[in-house]
Amino acid sequence: MSYRTTTLGDGTVAFDRGTSLLVSGSSMDVQEHIYDLLSEAGEADETTILISTDRGAPEVVRSLRERDAFDAGRVGFIDCTGREGPEEVAGAPVRRLGSPGDLTGMSLEFAKLVDRFDDAGAGDRIRVGLASISTLLMYTDVRTAFRFLHVFTSRIRSGGLFGIFAMDPGMHDQQTVNTIRAVFDCEAGIADDGDVDLRGSGFVTE
Amino acid sequence: MGSEQPTVLVVEDEPPLIEIYARWLEGEYEVRTAQNGSEALEQIDDEVDVALLDRLMPGMSGDEVLAEIRERAPGCRVAMVTAVEPDFDIIRMGFDDYLTKPVEKEMLLETVERLLARSNYEGLEQELYSLVSKRSALQSAKSAQEISNSEEYAELEARIEELQADIDAAMPEMESGEFVAMVRDIESGAGEDVEPPEGDVSDPFAEDSDAAEDDGDRDADGEGSASTEGEDR
Repeated sequence: MSYRTTTLGDGTVAFDRGTSLLVSGSSMDVQEHIYDLLSEAGEADETTILISTDRGAPEVVRSLRERDAFDAGRVGFIDCTGREGPEEVAGAPVRRLGSPGDLTGMSLEFAKLVDRFDDAGAGDRIRVGLASISTLLMYTDVRTAFRFLHVFTSRIRSGGLFGIFAMDPGMHDQQTVNTIRAVFDCEAGIADDGDVDLRGSGFVTE
Repeated sequence: MGSEQPTVLVVEDEPPLIEIYARWLEGEYEVRTAQNGSEALEQIDDEVDVALLDRLMPGMSGDEVLAEIRERAPGCRVAMVTAVEPDFDIIRMGFDDYLTKPVEKEMLLETVERLLARSNYEGLEQELYSLVSKRSALQSAKSAQEISNSEEYAELEARIEELQADIDAAMPEMESGEFVAMVRDIESGAGEDVEPPEGDVSDPFAEDSDAAEDDGDRDADGEGSASTEGEDR
């Protein structure tokens, strides 16, 4: 079973299990695309883990609800905005980190959420979102970010999950963008007019 | 490096258990043993690749010994041996893995093997970063025309591809605990001084006649690692 989406261009795109996709474009556009991609998890009996560096958990819930795609039992959030708050928002588990630079904390909370879905028998069909790498890069150097993302995508591959990562190339120098880009199987470039340019491997267009 | 056996240090306060673990390990590894914390510290040096540490030893606690090992042998992987199944937080405390008592032979050998594989993976992965960032520098500095005509660039591409295949082969199944431990190591910068398994990181274009030989090594190490799933249950 693949991870399907109709949000990237006209047709349906099916991503292989274990694939990690980079969604690149202006910050606002890529955020919206990440939520669009995550919101299709419910239709396919998948679960969702979102690591959010910019929007707090209540806002994340609102973004999913706007898409009619919020199911408290099938999502988990890692809120890295540093905001205080409860461990549940609208019934969904929220793990909180002090900063987007706490990579160990991020991986630990991710592992615990996967465990939780595992126990519920849904640990191998997870859409994993990270929004965004651009914010991460304000807290760590490129080398650390590259290595973290490389290990993270290896874990996603090994678990048969689907990784969806956001980055705004306009915020970084070209060399940084090219380095980070190399971690991913495929990339969806979102142009200012909304056109999507999907390239790389790990998917088929139907 | 190739023919030398990796060294495993077993720290356990019950002599019969030491004997059993040592017997299981002896076929493939150089084994050192210690009955308590202070003996463990006498045995530890940077030759030790993996340490199995009983967390609740009399005298000196496993946590104290761990801190000392990190100091003296930064490249050593440490698995905690414990009576109670811990959660991922022990990874944050600095352990690389754990074994729950009673420890069975297969589990023990597999854990040691995976810890060694992880060291190998991390070395390769650091090399990957240096090659990828070099390629990115070329991509930003040169025109598309120059890049497509560059033999240097083509070689770099080939090396990166080869390395990525090696990395995938080094750890085909990465579990959650391993993932957390690896991120912890990346974040703390640990292992950055550890020598990568192959010699010439700084010059990706040097002759690499030893590549085939290295692959052979890795295959040999990989035997018996086929079934890793389902071990948890």
